[in-house]
Amino acid sequence: MGELEKKILEKIKEEKIVPKPRWQFLLKDYSIWSAFLVSVVVGGLAFCVALSITVDNDWDIYRYLSISPVKHMLLSLPYLWIVLLFLFLALAFYNYKHTKIGYRHSVFIVLGLSIAGSILLGYVFHSAGIGRKIDRIFARNVPLYQEMECCSNRKDIWSQPDKGLLGGRILNVRFEDGFDLEDFQGIVWQVEKDGQVLIREPFLVRVGEGVKLIGEERAQQHFWAREIRHWDGWEDE
Amino acid sequence: MLDKNNCAEKTDEELVVLTLENQNFFSCLVERYEPKLMRYIRRISSATQEDAEDLLQEIFIKVYRHLNDFDGKLKFSSWIYRIAHNQVISQWRKTKARPLVLKFEADEDFLKFIATDEDLALDTERKFAAEEVREMLNNLDDKYKEVLVLKFLEEKDYKEISDILQKPLGTVATLINRAKKQFKSISKEKELNI
Repeated sequence: MGELEKKILEKIKEEKIVPKPRWQFLLKDYSIWSAFLVSVVVGGLAFCVALSITVDNDWDIYRYLSISPVKHMLLSLPYLWIVLLFLFLALAFYNYKHTKIGYRHSVFIVLGLSIAGSILLGYVFHSAGIGRKIDRIFARNVPLYQEMECCSNRKDIWSQPDKGLLGGRILNVRFEDGFDLEDFQGIVWQVEKDGQVLIREPFLVRVGEGVKLIGEERAQQHFWAREIRHWDGWEDE
Repeated sequence: MLDKNNCAEKTDEELVVLTLENQNFFSCLVERYEPKLMRYIRRISSATQEDAEDLLQEIFIKVYRHLNDFDGKLKFSSWIYRIAHNQVISQWRKTKARPLVLKFEADEDFLKFIATDEDLALDTERKFAAEEVREMLNNLDDKYKEVLVLKFLEEKDYKEISDILQKPLGTVATLINRAKKQFKSISKEKELNI
């Protein structure tokens, strides 16, 4: 037995060194993998909220708001969710790189898979309506979030009848050329429409539906609709 | 008492399992890897013989403590070299008393290899002396020396180098190619200066 070999074995015996139990290593491994999966899922949630906000946004109404299309776009982008998406992508990348096999794959592959995972999950969440729900939960419970232009202010945008934008819920369909609408302040409007009215998506104008109207305030609580849009996710508002 | 003859027939992986049952088997692993790791430490650090021995002792203790972390998907030699590599770097970071200078202690076999390797062969008119080749190798960037030590002195394949340095296979291949290019460029420069 060599001198060094002897010293090593003596030290192990004298200091009663024992191998660390396997569960400690497994716990560490599982923790890192869990952190990676949580990061991808939260990244997916951030992406789904960003997607829902983007899809729900009315990109073409800038002309009624008297702002340029670029300014409208910049004001409408869901920055908070985009930042959160990148943050959790970075976390997913960091966690994956710290798994036992993390070093085997290049930055591009790991980031690419994390992005693909978050986008895929995000799309699934969006399809299940989760994005819109998270947006509303934040809008109701986080005061700072309510101040953000992008996300929860759709009600404010559609509460400007003087600019030709009115949103609310149909109370009753009085006659073929009109209906009553309750806006977000609880004010009831008489809405008129004619045969030329543009209805964007195929939906029925019926009691209880949420709608967004583009038109003109003709008199007090009297609105003429040139265009009617369905308010997706009205039930969450 | 352990009969060392039993060790020779066992693979590293079998010895790990046996060590977990009976610590005396660890001496087989120590005996098997002591000279290899000692050479490796001396090659990748400027440690003195005494420092290298201390470092090696720490490496084996760490290996023993972490035996349960070894999984069979990896070669044991890659795993133990990885621990040695990380321990050298961590020791250097701790003390920083001496700069980490990778020293290329190329032996004669390696110099012969250089002469025959298609990529590394010196296509110069002048034949360099062994000492000059050593000097040229030591002029390489550390990141290149590190992979060359593993590839040509420790005779590890790309997969093993990837597992030891914990870098993707593609990165290892790139580093080796660049190392070869830099070596050729240094040799040409040296030839012009003479």
